[in-house]
Amino acid sequence: MRPSPSLSRRFGRSVVTLTLFATVAFLIAPIVLTVVASFATSWTGVLPSGFVTFENWRAVLGLADTIGSQRSMGWSPLFRLPLGGETLTVLVPAELAFSIGLALGGVLINLVVGVPIAYAVARYEFPGREWVNAVSVLPLVPGVILGVAFLRAYPDLSATSFGLIVGYSLLKAPFMVMAVQSEFESMPLQQLEESARSLGASWPRTFLTVIVPNARSGIVSGAIICWALAAAEFNFSYIVWAKGTQPLALFLQRHISNSSFTKAAAAVSMFFFIIVAVTVLLQRVGRRGFDIRGS
Amino acid sequence: MSDRHAENSLLSTLRGLATRVVGAFETVVNPVTEREREYRRIAALCAPFAVLVLVAGLYPLSEVVRISVSAAQYRSVGFSLDAYATLFGDPYYRQVAFDSLWLTTGTTLVSVGLAIPIAHALEKYDLPGEDLLVTLVSFPISLPGIVAAFMILVLFGNNGVVTAVAAALTGSRPTDLAFAVSVPGLFVAFVYSMVPRATLILRGTYAEVDSAAEEAAQALGATPFETFRHVTLPQIRPGITGALILTFRTGLAIFGTLVVIQTLVVWTLQLSRELGVGYDVQVAGAMATVYFVFTFLFTVLGLRYTSAEVGI
Repeated sequence: MRPSPSLSRRFGRSVVTLTLFATVAFLIAPIVLTVVASFATSWTGVLPSGFVTFENWRAVLGLADTIGSQRSMGWSPLFRLPLGGETLTVLVPAELAFSIGLALGGVLINLVVGVPIAYAVARYEFPGREWVNAVSVLPLVPGVILGVAFLRAYPDLSATSFGLIVGYSLLKAPFMVMAVQSEFESMPLQQLEESARSLGASWPRTFLTVIVPNARSGIVSGAIICWALAAAEFNFSYIVWAKGTQPLALFLQRHISNSSFTKAAAAVSMFFFIIVAVTVLLQRVGRRGFDIRGS
Repeated sequence: MSDRHAENSLLSTLRGLATRVVGAFETVVNPVTEREREYRRIAALCAPFAVLVLVAGLYPLSEVVRISVSAAQYRSVGFSLDAYATLFGDPYYRQVAFDSLWLTTGTTLVSVGLAIPIAHALEKYDLPGEDLLVTLVSFPISLPGIVAAFMILVLFGNNGVVTAVAAALTGSRPTDLAFAVSVPGLFVAFVYSMVPRATLILRGTYAEVDSAAEEAAQALGATPFETFRHVTLPQIRPGITGALILTFRTGLAIFGTLVVIQTLVVWTLQLSRELGVGYDVQVAGAMATVYFVFTFLFTVLGLRYTSAEVGI
């Protein structure tokens, strides 16, 4: 007598595959709908209606004077070009430019602190190596706690751009360390180092001119990931931000909480496009999207 | 007499320790052997990170601990445990702690429970467009909590798609069916943020699974479930524990989602409220301290006493 085929043989694979596709749909469908809705006039029925309009985008980007335009993106002069007798003022969207700048500052700090420690863990054996590794790849505290701590420790500095940059760099440092470390681990570090040393290079020179350039792709993807995560950092910014231009995540929150659905959709879609651009960049340097363990 | 003796031995222990610290310092500054030079390099490589953690992390945290035991509002003076008495004595804070813990535990279990089949399908099956699926599952990792909350509004809010479809099918009013701004909605929003992260960790674990053993089990007549249960699961168990620990940490840290969907007051939300007008800075400090100590101990014990794998 033939044994009856087991349940898992008959259904296992389909159930597992179905779970995957259902979850992907759950994760991605609202993203697609949001982008679609950002071009709609209204969304009151099952699906958004009144296509195609750019009013939401214009309102969110601060290009149109509408009700609630105080929530729109501000425009501020980036620099002035003296052209002949006239001056040409180059305007940039304030929140966007502000966040891009803050996140770049955070990435610079991350490069300086993250690349060396990743190399130390990947290349050398030393007592306490496991703990150094754990401290460098696990976030120390979440944004809210760090925000409270910054307010206490640096009351004057915490709401400034510099305070935000330092905070972002600590919060996102683990991502840089992980990206660079996985690159280092795929390299023959000891051979590289020893060859360079035997050719007469000092150790600092070996590190800076042989090791670091070879780990380029890991460093670049770490920088891109850290940049995107810092540009989107909400929790820390929400606690410490006091006045002036808002970071991008706070700009998103003020739309999500206050604006009409389609306008909020436009604000969130703008953010999606930034992340898509970043993901495409990441794939160019050879990684599959945000393929770094987060926590 | 024995006191004197104890004092002497303590002194000599201290002296020995001091000599060792000074010795280690001298080794780093003035290395003689190649091994000592290597230690100097390691110290130099770790120094920038250590400075950042000290200046931006540990010193600010120490100020938080200091204010939490301060006897005065806004200034760190004296010593008082009033804030901790409030935190542990007031039933309100106990409720906040309880709500944070059950919400995070529940969402962690659901997220890791979903991530196991997702990682399994991505790593074991030859699916069409696998790279695209990986990109799509990873994409939400980069979305802050506020955007995750908005995604839930898009699906289950008053104007949400699922709400509208369900309302059209059942004939009830959308506002009766919308559950985005409710505790279940918050639960789903947490899962939205946590599933991609849990999947990422488990995919790393799955990549290291020995597939020859699985094929052998299958060839010997084990059903797919038996193969998973007895061959795959023992290999991925450390990864699952690691994913549980890290996803739990992620869940506890969520804050932005709660700013949009304020239906349950959890620890982080209450903490931000303590900073508002008329609230208590010492209690905020105590809440931050308790949070830090809890997650620190939880992670250290988790990594120490389980075979959890964290990092790459």
